[in-house]
Amino acid sequence: MRTVEILIVILIMTGAFLTASFFAVLPSPRQVSPINLSRLALTTLQTLDAQSDLSTVAFDTTNDTAWNQLQIALSACLPPNVVYNLTAYDISTQNGQLYNATGGRSISNAASLGLGSDVASYIVASSNVTFSVTPQKLRATLYILNCSDSSGWWITGYTVQSIAQEIAQMFRPYFEPSSIIMVQNTTQLGQLLGPADGTGRGQPLQNETVQNAIVINTCGEAVPIPQSYASLYSSDYAKYCYQLGRRVNQYNWTWVSIVGYPLYYVSNTLALSGTQNGWGIYGMKMVEAAGLNAFLKGIDLQPYSYNNGWLTSDVGVVTLSPTAISNCSYYGIFPSPTQTATRALPASITTQYHLTTATMVFNVKNNAIAGAVFNHRTTGSLFALGVTRVPDIRLVGLGILSNYNPVLYKSLYTTAGTSKLVVLQLGLAGGK
Amino acid sequence: MTGATIDHLVASTVFLAALLLFIGFFNQMNQTAIVYQNHKHISTKCSDILDSILLNPGSPSDWGFSGSSTRKLTFFGLQDPDFQEYRLSPFSLTRLLSPGAQQYNNVSWDLNGGYLLLQASECIDYHNVTSLLGINGIYDFQLAIAPTLTVNISEVSDAHLNLRIQVYGTGFPLSNAYLNYLMFWANTSTSGSFPILNCNFTSDALQTDSSGIASIEFPYLSSGTAFTFIVKAYTTGISGTGYLAKETVTNSGNLIPYIQSYDVGKANVILAQNPQTGMGNLYFNASFYALPDNFVPIPAGNFAGNVNSGTPSQNLQITTNNQTGFLVVAYGDGNHYGMMITALGVDSIGVPVTFGANPSGKDWVATDLRQVLIGDIAYQAKLSLWSLQGYGVTG
Repeated sequence: MRTVEILIVILIMTGAFLTASFFAVLPSPRQVSPINLSRLALTTLQTLDAQSDLSTVAFDTTNDTAWNQLQIALSACLPPNVVYNLTAYDISTQNGQLYNATGGRSISNAASLGLGSDVASYIVASSNVTFSVTPQKLRATLYILNCSDSSGWWITGYTVQSIAQEIAQMFRPYFEPSSIIMVQNTTQLGQLLGPADGTGRGQPLQNETVQNAIVINTCGEAVPIPQSYASLYSSDYAKYCYQLGRRVNQYNWTWVSIVGYPLYYVSNTLALSGTQNGWGIYGMKMVEAAGLNAFLKGIDLQPYSYNNGWLTSDVGVVTLSPTAISNCSYYGIFPSPTQTATRALPASITTQYHLTTATMVFNVKNNAIAGAVFNHRTTGSLFALGVTRVPDIRLVGLGILSNYNPVLYKSLYTTAGTSKLVVLQLGLAGGK
Repeated sequence: MTGATIDHLVASTVFLAALLLFIGFFNQMNQTAIVYQNHKHISTKCSDILDSILLNPGSPSDWGFSGSSTRKLTFFGLQDPDFQEYRLSPFSLTRLLSPGAQQYNNVSWDLNGGYLLLQASECIDYHNVTSLLGINGIYDFQLAIAPTLTVNISEVSDAHLNLRIQVYGTGFPLSNAYLNYLMFWANTSTSGSFPILNCNFTSDALQTDSSGIASIEFPYLSSGTAFTFIVKAYTTGISGTGYLAKETVTNSGNLIPYIQSYDVGKANVILAQNPQTGMGNLYFNASFYALPDNFVPIPAGNFAGNVNSGTPSQNLQITTNNQTGFLVVAYGDGNHYGMMITALGVDSIGVPVTFGANPSGKDWVATDLRQVLIGDIAYQAKLSLWSLQGYGVTG
């Protein structure tokens, strides 16, 4: 009797085993370790389009010869056991439909793609299409000091005017045309700055907004000085630099020094016609380090006191910061990633004058900053590039754009008639 | 009473036997499933590692150009640092040192008269690569990177030099493909004992037939001429290259090019005599050409000298400016002449690279495949991966 019961138990266990075996179906070896057909398809499409050949053929749907050659190339680069179907679809203009299935053209080497297949899609563009890039316009006025009555220093090989023109051209896409103002002489600069004694406000030159402007000094280590300021501060020109600092704070300007020691000289070919800068250039007066010290006191609204203490240091070769390198590609500006900096500002000025480094153009070296935008804690900024001559205005562009980060708007890629969707479907020939 | 006892004994025995049997059955089913799961995991890992190698340039990213950067490598990858997607650096690939290679990496040794031998100290070895990929002791792999198009060149018996070029892909022959070629040959009329190195470049519309075959005859060259022939095949969307150098062993031997180093745009190549019994003077003339994607070579250095038993090698300093190219060498002992070629960057003459351990005899090897570009030459990168940890379930 017990034996019969055991036999019944065995029958039940056999049934359980068979049932489990029926449901626990193991995959075929091909499914366990498949070739990644999707990736193979994608890399095949990328290879075929490396010289834009796939794009050309996809748009030339009536050219049988071209499609035959494409099929030869496709057959040659896929393993013999891989079957394929390549179809180029038109991008659809209908709502809710990405592509137009009826307008495509296909090539294939098999009637069917077997039990399992995988696909990759790739969008190609017509060679007749130009994709445009529209930069975001910066809501600020760009003043470029192009003063005909002042000279430059450490802009060797260039003139003030040629640098001004280059800068205007570089920034033209990023500003409204009416927002780029060439300050043609020191009289206009004086109008912007306002009365020399520091009372009152400056006036716009063309109804532009003076507040929040960017002022690029193209004179290198020299700064143009209006006649009224030159007369008032003839005993100590560093006081003019102090007034500049105060104006930068007052108007929330970003003052840009493109090369060397900022504000090391003042220049006015009329007011200083009998004075030379120590190197034989008339119309220019050496202020030395007192100019920058006074400017920094001005931007921090500290009381003026004469200080000719040397600030900068020679740190040799410096490298672009990671942010700057990243923005090189984004904005398409490619200065040399290494530069020589002989006038790098000490990091200590940030605490002494309540500044923060908003944008680093160069990495810090020996506790000195060769290029950065320094923001004051209230308003006003100084962008100083302490590189040695000759100036590279691409660094100016990179620094300003990195600081303001205008967006580049690129035209859509999936516009009907300009793009095609190419789908490559791959399968494995043979059984399991 | 006795009958009931016997019934119990039989029933218990049969029950225990059946229980053990079914435990074995179910266990076997589970084991099979575990093995399958492990295989699936290896397959996924294979795809991941292949993408990891092909889609990042490594760090420092200039390690392909610089031996010093190679020694500081903290992450391994073969992508060309100037590009994105599946485009590989022709120089990083030459710095791979497989297990078993000793003083030089032996990427190519006398393959159709072509060499690519880089000193081992300039390379990264397989053990370091597995460590940098984080799979050391867990997986072994072999990475095979070979041109998608095979371009075979062979001599046809004739009074003049006559070459047959066959082009085929992994699946089919490449019919109607356009061919451009570079021809170098050594004149038997010599300047002293130095062979004169001549060259001829053409972009004639040579085209393969439906079998992927084309022929070209050089009526101005006899069939015994020492030559180096490089051909680039192109059709819609795909390019390949191949070469043939007629390497002759003269009475004074032949020349082997050893790349000692290349760093920051300069390469140091030793031309060493592969001596024969005679050990006489072997004279050579060599030229380095940079070869951009348009297949128009740019001459970038000429060298001449001789080797013998007293001076068995000569050192050549080549300025490459980090461009791919090749060094083509004509040599001779005054009576017999030969030629050989060495690549700087694998794509210039279509050198294949195989790196890693040997998968033969392994229990389960997962493979995956990608199409890649080196320069504008189409290659296929195939990774074979296997586990070193048995069949335990690891993921």
